[in-house]
Amino acid sequence: MISIRHISKQFPSVTALDDVSLEIGEKEFFGLLGPNGAGKTTLMNLLVGYLSPEKGSITIGDQEVTRENLDIRNTIGFVPQSLALYDELSARANLEMFGKLFNLPHKLLSERINERLNAVGLYERRNDNVKTFSGGMKRRLNIIASLLHDPGVLLCDEPTVGVDPQSRNAIFDFLESLNAQGKTIIYTTHYMEEAERLCSRIAIIDHGKIIASGTSDELIDMLPYEETIIVAKNDSTMEHKAVLREFGTVIENDDHLLLKPGTGFALSKFFTRVEQEGMKYRWFELHRPTLEELFLHLTGRRLRD
Amino acid sequence: MKQVLRLFNNSYRIFFNDRVAVMLTFIVPMVLMYLFGAIFGSADSGPDRMPIAVLNQSNSPVAQQVVATLDTMKAFRVIKTYKDKQGRQVAFDSVTIKRFAQTGGAAAAVVLPPDAFTDTSLGLKMKFYYDPKNEIEFQVVQGLIKQVAYNQIPAIINQSMQRQSEKYLGTKSGQAFNRGIASLVSKYFHVDTSLIMNPSKAMANWMNTSTSSVQDSSKKGGTNFFENMVKIESQQVVGEQLKNPWATRSVGGWAMTFLLFTITASSASLFDEKKSGVMLRLLVSPVSRVHILWSKYFFNMSLGIIQLFFMFFVGWVMFDVDVFSNVVNLLLIILAASVACTSFGMLLAAFAQTRQQAQGLGTLLILSMSAVGGAWFPTSFMPPTIQSISKLTFVYWSMDGFLEVLWRGSGIAAIAPHLLILFGMGSVISAVSVWGFKRGKVFE
Ligand SMILES: Nc1ncnc2c1ncn2[C@@H]1O[C@H](COP(=O)(O)OP(=O)(O)OP(=O)(O)O)[C@@H](O)[C@H]1O
Ligand SMILES: [Mg+2]
Repeated sequence: MISIRHISKQFPSVTALDDVSLEIGEKEFFGLLGPNGAGKTTLMNLLVGYLSPEKGSITIGDQEVTRENLDIRNTIGFVPQSLALYDELSARANLEMFGKLFNLPHKLLSERINERLNAVGLYERRNDNVKTFSGGMKRRLNIIASLLHDPGVLLCDEPTVGVDPQSRNAIFDFLESLNAQGKTIIYTTHYMEEAERLCSRIAIIDHGKIIASGTSDELIDMLPYEETIIVAKNDSTMEHKAVLREFGTVIENDDHLLLKPGTGFALSKFFTRVEQEGMKYRWFELHRPTLEELFLHLTGRRLRD
Repeated sequence: MKQVLRLFNNSYRIFFNDRVAVMLTFIVPMVLMYLFGAIFGSADSGPDRMPIAVLNQSNSPVAQQVVATLDTMKAFRVIKTYKDKQGRQVAFDSVTIKRFAQTGGAAAAVVLPPDAFTDTSLGLKMKFYYDPKNEIEFQVVQGLIKQVAYNQIPAIINQSMQRQSEKYLGTKSGQAFNRGIASLVSKYFHVDTSLIMNPSKAMANWMNTSTSSVQDSSKKGGTNFFENMVKIESQQVVGEQLKNPWATRSVGGWAMTFLLFTITASSASLFDEKKSGVMLRLLVSPVSRVHILWSKYFFNMSLGIIQLFFMFFVGWVMFDVDVFSNVVNLLLIILAASVACTSFGMLLAAFAQTRQQAQGLGTLLILSMSAVGGAWFPTSFMPPTIQSISKLTFVYWSMDGFLEVLWRGSGIAAIAPHLLILFGMGSVISAVSVWGFKRGKVFE
């Protein structure tokens, strides 16, 4: 549905994207996970034809995305990373002004506006100036302003920046419902929790390169271990550190020990041994590895500092 | 085109939602205009007691009648003598009256020479002396004196007509008759005007031009003669209108300066739209950069037309500036001036890096162009080098166009050069702007 082929984008001082290729299927909820400056926004801007690449091409459906192809914009919704709203105008006026650029019949537009405002719980505030809105409300308005033409593809560039957890969950639910209705969504974030919760497939981007991609499970499988084991820190476990080391690497944290299983690790053997040493099961907790750990593993850096 | 129109409508929606912008565009200029009017208003009542030096060397009853009328006019304080070194009052002669005007003793000096009106003359002859610094006052004086002289028309025309008809009677050539009448009309006011301070400066004042224009058109034939008579009537209207020469002159200047500020602010708002992300949102809609530019262009231009006309309207309400008698030509100049100002705003937005830069540079350019272009005081007050620079500014051509239309009551032929130059400047500046936008900051 969306194919990105060998895209490179150069800014005067930096290569923002370096030979990026991705295929995104219809109705996918695709995540683009990467730290600050990785090139996420640049890729989004290229996807919507706001920027043109030096090399490579992008097609959506059967149309090529270019700066001149205005037609394709009718099939794409773009939620910019920064709020793109007229602060001095009401929510409704904002939606009317942006919506009418999509050549919708007046009545249809008006209905859609009400419907979308309701969907994100802003209908009651529709006549208030945007500048009186909370950060979360502006974010929600910023999203629906990109959905008035009912696009098949929705590009969300960090749509939850600076949003409280409650609003964030509301936004997640809304986006999931859109995906369930059949919209293809590309979602950028540097929160791995968001990517894991929302996205069926994820690409990890760093320094303008895709360093890994796949479903969440496929990505985790790239780690040389499956689970880590969190061990409570007490006299007994501290005494038995040497025993734990037999099963892998032990990292000592402030309030717990972390065991990264080594090669040939088997849970059954591990717990038999623990029992023999007189340690209690409840001191051990299985922990599924995260994308954060994968990023750390692949780059030696954390997603966020 | 549809997209341009939609964006254009959006611009108005944003504009009218922004009370400060509306205030700055309409209310503030109106208040300032009122204040200026109150401060400088004394210039308007100036004709009440304007000192003019008068010397009558002619014995003709017509000339005497003119002087007598001047004497009784409330507008003038007629001076016929000067104080010599000993402090005695001495009557002017042709040399001393000139010096009197030169030293600023009077706004203007009028001399009716010995041959002001003789048996053989076809018209009334007068000499004006004035300091170009007093141009405005001089215009007033001229207008009023013309009015006085016109009152003598019946007497003069009777005498001249007799002579002319004697000459042509019997030829039955209507053409010849018309030509005779035409020459009568054209010579009717043989005004020999000269400048004291700066004789090299061509006297392009309206009195001479209007005299010659009568001549030109009267050659065309019979019906024109009567038009010319009507023209004389309308010149009298101009003379009456001069009771407010200062406002007539100034309203266009204020309007231009305010408009430039409005348009600069509006163009600079492109940077705000970029910063707020709205520009990005527009450009990821089915909207191109060209659409945005055109919509901005049309918006600024239409706002310019509205603001300029509004200002003239205010001039009419407050200061009685005669806006409506030549309104079509006024609107043409307003259109051309708006086009030029709009392109100026675009130029700023195209080449500035930030809003602050656009506004700062804009303010600097607006103030200097307004000053040099004659928006605040007539360019004839300025040194010749500045005067030639002023012709490079569209402010000058707009101002001169306004004066042409409001002051001289000129028609389309007279303002055609102004329109051409303004549209031409607008096109060139716009082309440069488009080039600038391609590599500028706004759309990157
Ligand atoms: N207009 C531009 N001019 C010059 N450099 C740019 C421009 N836009 C982005 N860059 C550079 O390109 C790189 C990628 O930036 P981009 O905004 O795509 O990152 P990002 O992944 O969206 O980061 P963030 O998570 O902070 O939003 C950065 O090094 C940035 O400095
Ligand atoms: Mg970004």
